[in-house]
Amino acid sequence: MTSALWLASEPALLPSRIQMAFTLASHVLLVPLGVALPSLTLLMEGIGLASKDPVALKIARRWSVVMAVQFAVGAVTGTILSFEFGILWPRMLGQFGGAFGLGFAIEAWAFFLEAIFIGIYLYGWERLRPRTHLLFGLVLPPAGLLGAFGVLASNSWMNTPAGTTLKAGKVVDVDVMAALFTRALGYEFWHFLIAIYMTAGFVVASVYAVAWLRGRRDHYQRLAFAVPFTVAAVLAPIQLVVGDLSARALVADQPSKFAAMEITWTTRDHNPEVIGGLIDANGDIHFGISVPSLDSLLVGYSPNAVVPGLTSVAANARPTIVEANITHLAFDLMVGLGSVGAALAVWHLWVLWRRRRPPESIWFYRLAALAGIGAYIAVETGWITTEVGRQPWIVFGVMRVADAVTTAPASFVWTMLTALVVIYALIAYFFVTLLLRLSARWRREDLNQPSEPEVGAPYGPRPRTFTA
Amino acid sequence: MPDLIAFTLLLAITAYSTAGGVDFGAGIWDLLAGGSRRGREARALIDHSMAPVWEVNNVWLVLAIVLCWTGFPLLFQTVFARLYPLFALALVGLILRGAFFAFRHIAEAPRAHRIADLVFGLSSLLTPFFFAASLGAIASGRLESFSLMSIAFGLVSLAATAFSGASFLVGDARRYGAIELVGYFRRRAVIAALALIAVGSAALITIGFEAPDLFRPMLAGKGFPFALVTMVLTPVVGFLLWRGVLRWYRVLTVAAVGSMVFAWAFAQSPYLVPGQLTIAQAVAPFSTQVLLLVVAAVVLLVIGPAMGVLYYLDQRSALESPET
Repeated sequence: MTSALWLASEPALLPSRIQMAFTLASHVLLVPLGVALPSLTLLMEGIGLASKDPVALKIARRWSVVMAVQFAVGAVTGTILSFEFGILWPRMLGQFGGAFGLGFAIEAWAFFLEAIFIGIYLYGWERLRPRTHLLFGLVLPPAGLLGAFGVLASNSWMNTPAGTTLKAGKVVDVDVMAALFTRALGYEFWHFLIAIYMTAGFVVASVYAVAWLRGRRDHYQRLAFAVPFTVAAVLAPIQLVVGDLSARALVADQPSKFAAMEITWTTRDHNPEVIGGLIDANGDIHFGISVPSLDSLLVGYSPNAVVPGLTSVAANARPTIVEANITHLAFDLMVGLGSVGAALAVWHLWVLWRRRRPPESIWFYRLAALAGIGAYIAVETGWITTEVGRQPWIVFGVMRVADAVTTAPASFVWTMLTALVVIYALIAYFFVTLLLRLSARWRREDLNQPSEPEVGAPYGPRPRTFTA
Repeated sequence: MPDLIAFTLLLAITAYSTAGGVDFGAGIWDLLAGGSRRGREARALIDHSMAPVWEVNNVWLVLAIVLCWTGFPLLFQTVFARLYPLFALALVGLILRGAFFAFRHIAEAPRAHRIADLVFGLSSLLTPFFFAASLGAIASGRLESFSLMSIAFGLVSLAATAFSGASFLVGDARRYGAIELVGYFRRRAVIAALALIAVGSAALITIGFEAPDLFRPMLAGKGFPFALVTMVLTPVVGFLLWRGVLRWYRVLTVAAVGSMVFAWAFAQSPYLVPGQLTIAQAVAPFSTQVLLLVVAAVVLLVIGPAMGVLYYLDQRSALESPET
């Protein structure tokens, strides 16, 4: 009811939320490879240099081409996002920019550093001495880390705001350290960081898992699969623990979000864990599997542990029923995919440890091929969990989304949204076409005579002369 | 200290106006290069010289935006709440341009290629025009998206980007030994310089009528030294290129375009929005200012040398293939 009222009073709210969700959902798909692919590439280059393996160097160089295209698209979608804060949520930035923006101020400089060194790295293949080239590249992972830190510091501030002194609704003082290092940052940062490294590993490896299934099983394919998959496999079990810590921290930090994730209606002990399922406006659960007392056990290691319910928060200060259901299903999907990923990881590590080689079961590669898509879905659903679960707040407990939204007419936001959807669809199409074409060409080359991997790519070392 | 942050913001805007401008300028000349066959040579050069710049110029833009919302939250809110249509249009140009620049590398059918060229070129008009229009709307103090001032600023930016784009392409054409293209872009740079002088004068007259409070300091106050530099350097660069004296012209181009931005900003200081909002009124709390400057200082210490390395490698052509 209340949310319907807000929609009526803030006509641009609905399209603004859709637009933000759409552009963020698109951008977040580019983040894993954007931040973590440089590390995988450098690892591969390092292996190539250490073992004098030209195949590893070839793989690293090809990955760097993908990295470049990815970075360019991410730079554009990221720029769009920074403007959207102003176009869609001017009142939030106007009031809290001095605190919320701090993380982004750090991120912007990190992005700067990344752009410079990614340029040197990309255009420096075979132009710089191998060791120098690797050394320049080594700036990229810490720069990416710093950028991720900045963005997550800002997002964590929205979840657990701190460090601001308000006087008559205006921020008069900011405690910089308190605003940067908020409670949520501790778990959000590590959870997200591991997530993107895992995703990058699974996604890159999945490409070569497909190649394995198609019968290409030479040194090139094996190496390109094993390195990223092993990175992901080491991280996947750790992520289960970090994810669990994050979820349990929410019990105290954002009880309404936690209640939505578990679709718990009333605060109680012996709370069951509902897997799947939906909650209705009366608090009744439909469908799904209910495991008695498990939620209480997970939260407090005892069936007597008390778990917060949605009704512990006023109706206008917690997610609506629809939002709670979205949060819950997204959360379950993320946890489910994470668990499958971890199982696959254990399989890989077990065989690797016992037999000193990756698994050879066709089912392993079938699952590994799907792990790439699964990891992307897990990133998306994780992000949906934290963002939708925070509703109706843009700054948790302090400012509502409806109070931050632009006063622009709804028709303007709908029009912009439509334009963005069309353009993003085009970009996605170009992006995928480009990658498919590059991969097809590289495959052809491996059969014939080699050339430089960047031929046909928009970015890469340039010849000293150009030809029309 | 608020002034220092405002100055950092100004530097980011200026850097985008020149670096980004060069980039978009190349796009404008791409648009004007004519049909597929006639424009082939010019387009190849534009592709070649734009490749290493790719979308990295967006860094300046992101930096400006972030500095604005963190350092001057109130300015950010005021400007965006009023001028959102201009920013939306500029953004559409920005993404279309990035997407279609990449796309024309993969388009194989001639028709698709031609369309990609066209969209890429057209979007290169949108972005500088509408970003500059927003500055015009701010400078007028009335924050109207579509007014004489915003249109005047937009047109000046188109002429300026065309000018700096052509001037830099002369340099690239020389570097790659494309003799015919040196002359090609020299002629275009001269025409663009003339256009910039014409449009710039018209814009100055517009400012005189529309925003007299900005006009005075621009010609007789803090903005004047910079306005003077622009007014002197633009014809000088035009003259150098016309006479074929190919020395210093690129540095002077940057100085001319950069001073133009400075002339506007200094003329309206200490106002961020003339008559409405001063630097002191809009600035974020003290500790945020400190953090912004500390971060900027630390990173400049890192980024300065990094840029140096990039420039050094580029000038040694270490980032290009050996002769094949």
